[in-house]
Amino acid sequence: MYKALVACRAGVGSSLMLKIKTQQVIKEESFPIELEHASLDAVSSFNGELLITLVDVANELKASGIKKDIIGITSITNKAEIKEKLAAYIEKNT
Amino acid sequence: MLSSMIDKAFIQLNVKATDWQDAIKVSAQPLLKAGKIAESYIEKMIDIALETGPYIVIAKNVALPHAPPDAGVYQTAMSITVLEHDVHFGNPDNDPVKYLFCLSATDSNSHLEALAELVDLLEDQNFFQLLNQARNRTEVLDYVINKTKNR
Repeated sequence: MYKALVACRAGVGSSLMLKIKTQQVIKEESFPIELEHASLDAVSSFNGELLITLVDVANELKASGIKKDIIGITSITNKAEIKEKLAAYIEKNT
Repeated sequence: MLSSMIDKAFIQLNVKATDWQDAIKVSAQPLLKAGKIAESYIEKMIDIALETGPYIVIAKNVALPHAPPDAGVYQTAMSITVLEHDVHFGNPDNDPVKYLFCLSATDSNSHLEALAELVDLLEDQNFFQLLNQARNRTEVLDYVINKTKNR
């Protein structure tokens, strides 16, 4: 089981919607991923291995040198994209 | 419930905005007027977008302006704004923005169900068609109420 954190700047809007959508995909595909959500402030204390955010935030996190896997999602309503990126992550780590 | 966060007065159709900052301000006006948010909340939404880039453009043509609860939220609410002319936020994947859903939330959990309903709405092409063609606010609000009733 992988532990993933869905994060956004505020922790009340886009990250929650992204979490809802990602949770749907995980359930449909039976991906071995457990989700949490929070604002970006929680990223430094997060003890899992994967961060999932919208793409601009993902780029910012990568630039800040965080040593975790980071997935950036372009569109919250695009399930195919979420599925593809999660599948690629699992593939890479198994 | 999403419909309980949206008052008829929070729906704005065919409104003008000069640029993305103006669009955020315009989308927040009904919430400001109704006392759901403080002026500082609007500044914070713009600051966040300036700092992190246009991450609030969450889907094709759709922006979800919002900020943390401590930036000046009095009550959880959401406005729906359809621009007469779309504006560019600088998001290469999802620009230009025509629809804004300005969200204020007092915490990160109590509106979870409402956000799940919003995700459903954003995947519903008929909803966007309605936003383009609606003659009045009531049509839009009725659609949201009906859609979320059948969930």
